[in-house]
Amino acid sequence: MANRWGYPDLGFGIGLRSVHYEHVLNNKPAIDWFEILSENYMDTGGRPLHVLDQVAAHYPVVLHGVSLSVGSTDPIDFDYLRKLKALAKRINARWISDHLCWTGVAGHNTHDLLPMPYTNEALRHTIERVKTIQDFMERPIALENASTYLEFSASTWPESEFIAALTEQADCGILLDVNNVYVSSYNHGFDPKAYIDKIPRDRVVQMHLAGHTNKGTHILDTHSDYVIDSVWELYRYAHRRLGGVSTLLEWDANIPDFDVVHGEALKARQFREQEDLKLPAHAVDDGVPAYGD
Amino acid sequence: MVTDPGLERIQRWMQACIEDQGTCEEAIASERARAAISAEEARSIVLPSKTLSSLERLDIYRGMYLLRMEEALSTDYPGLKHFLGDDKFMRMVERYVEVYPSRSYTLNRLGDHLPKFLRTLDDLPKKDFCCELARLELLLTEVFDAEDAPPLTEAAVRAVPPEAWETARLKPIPAFAIAEFDYPVSQYLGGVDEENPFPRIARKKTWMVAYRRDFNVSRHDLERPAYALLSALASGQTVGDAIVGTMTQRWRPAVKEACLFEWFRDWMADGLFQAVELAK
Repeated sequence: MANRWGYPDLGFGIGLRSVHYEHVLNNKPAIDWFEILSENYMDTGGRPLHVLDQVAAHYPVVLHGVSLSVGSTDPIDFDYLRKLKALAKRINARWISDHLCWTGVAGHNTHDLLPMPYTNEALRHTIERVKTIQDFMERPIALENASTYLEFSASTWPESEFIAALTEQADCGILLDVNNVYVSSYNHGFDPKAYIDKIPRDRVVQMHLAGHTNKGTHILDTHSDYVIDSVWELYRYAHRRLGGVSTLLEWDANIPDFDVVHGEALKARQFREQEDLKLPAHAVDDGVPAYGD
Repeated sequence: MVTDPGLERIQRWMQACIEDQGTCEEAIASERARAAISAEEARSIVLPSKTLSSLERLDIYRGMYLLRMEEALSTDYPGLKHFLGDDKFMRMVERYVEVYPSRSYTLNRLGDHLPKFLRTLDDLPKKDFCCELARLELLLTEVFDAEDAPPLTEAAVRAVPPEAWETARLKPIPAFAIAEFDYPVSQYLGGVDEENPFPRIARKKTWMVAYRRDFNVSRHDLERPAYALLSALASGQTVGDAIVGTMTQRWRPAVKEACLFEWFRDWMADGLFQAVELAK
């Protein structure tokens, strides 16, 4: 087990989306696991939950949320957490993740993954909230690096170091979104490999891959296309550093047939297998052996 | 220049800028944004990139906000969007989320106030029709998400002694809604989602029941007497009282006993009830 909680490498999964419900229920495709968007199943007694119960009976399922708002200065929403906890129990969720971001204040929710200023104050604030949330949930959570489109002048930490410090001090996991690293590196002009070098490998429980939309001046994290080559290369690099980590392909707009999405997820297996053939490799520059050493 | 007004002020400022419907400049100068951070200080909150100014970077979030709200509301209100057209619907969304921003962790309930909000608009074409259409579409979202419950089985119905029916009550399934409308909104929605012919949009009383069976939402038009009977049953009246109430209305001559049997048979087949509660 590469991560400190012993969460298994589930293999290669995709995000469960309603356009694929019929295909999944009727064909029970040979896919390793599914990730679901938690909020889509929390306040419904209808078809989504019915489908989820059947999917969870056949596949490992992981909960991935977008409304935890862990960085917000609003009070923690314990009603939300209660429902999240109940859902996790209902489907035996392997783990729970959300994003390092805030989604709203003053009682509002913009339903966007808004960027944090990476300051000492924000770090202390978020650590305390993560601890409170984990105590309530009675399990560690994993936080994903969100794609961001702006930076605050107040920030005194690089994002990767902020995440490393946060997850170490709050004792939570990391969902490393490789596409988001690429998107943010393009938007802010940092080195994506240097970013990954700063991520503590024993906290990474999952990786995300997705397509995006390059607008020329910036990249939008749209999950609307195939994964580009540069992101695959970055995934290869991340695998070299982090080892076998559960990998999930997200596709949320212009969603093609299930087999296309699944096929894209399975490309990750090829990259991993190619990379594994090259191992054992070298000691990385932080002095900590890379996976396979 | 480094500006650190603190986490809470940054968040309140950024949210104010995102939710404001004007230009980015106007948003920064808005009262809400300035309550968090002065317009002058705000200019150095966000760093420019090599390709975008601070305002252009902030504008990315502003643009995505409205698109997300429109997408959520158009999922729940496809009929209203069809009637208004894309541009008018978007303008309505802009005004709606200004008054009713999302306050929930789920977008599923973003449109809960839309029928009531439409009533406040002075420039909505065929406003009464739009309000009724929105009321129908909101009901359908509630039926979609309601708790699941198994419908009455034939065996459970047969187990009720004949003499007990008069004082028995029928409990509807949670995923059930019944409504009276001032316009043929259900037929209109049938034109949108099932490509049925569109009705003439003119004031006309219509009655409808919506329910979920096998996780699919269905709806049927009802005749007025059937609506009266089903409403009475759903409100908790005994079967006897509901039937007597229906049969003594002014439409009595048109309602034959055969109608009653047909309605009950259809409603049972549709699985509208989950239990028979017998008088103690």
